[in-house]
Amino acid sequence: MARHFRRRKYCKFTAEGITEIDYKDLNLLKQYVGETGKVVPSRITGTKAKYQRQLATAVKRARFLALLPYTDNH
Amino acid sequence: MRHYEICFLVHPDQSEQVPAMLERYRALIEDKGGVIHRLEDWGRRQLAFSIAKLHKAHYVLMNIECDAETLAELEGVFRFNDAVLRHLTVRRQDAVNEASPILQAKEEKDRVQKERDDRRGDKPSDDDNDQDDDKPVKADADKKPEAEEATENTSEEGA
Repeated sequence: MARHFRRRKYCKFTAEGITEIDYKDLNLLKQYVGETGKVVPSRITGTKAKYQRQLATAVKRARFLALLPYTDNH
Repeated sequence: MRHYEICFLVHPDQSEQVPAMLERYRALIEDKGGVIHRLEDWGRRQLAFSIAKLHKAHYVLMNIECDAETLAELEGVFRFNDAVLRHLTVRRQDAVNEASPILQAKEEKDRVQKERDDRRGDKPSDDDNDQDDDKPVKADADKKPEAEEATENTSEEGA
């Protein structure tokens, strides 16, 4: 009974056959962190659990190297 | 012998020393029978947040194959070198040779910048060629914001 049409969520990594998420691929990682710098939950993005775990480590590595921010008020 | 990917940040004031440092590391690795599969110098990059009151740092990425002793020695060198701000070592299954996304992005940016500079210095008679070159660049620039908006929308809808 959803009143407005909601676009179907899908796992980008499964669909595109990405085997390994690279912490250096900032354009990709930026799609999965919100404005505050948090990782967006898989229940919102539709990412499969296997890839969500990889994504989390990739984001954490990128943060350590100051490629991504930890928060928005550094 | 295992494959490792090492990324380290050098103090921007010590940027000139990077080639010498890399030469020393190369000697250290190859003396022990290791191999350097990929060596990328990303140059000075803006940091996402300040480290040691710095806003920029010189990034270097290398994929190497070496034994644990060599790696420990290399990490020891990083630790006692004040110019190295941070270093990250990741174990990899295989040797990686292709350019990393960051280097690709940097090269793309440099190329666009160079084209722009060339255009500024060009004579008016060359204008026709320039316009042809211009189109694909503009198309890319237009696409990017759209893609970002699309991802933002999906996250909002879900929430």
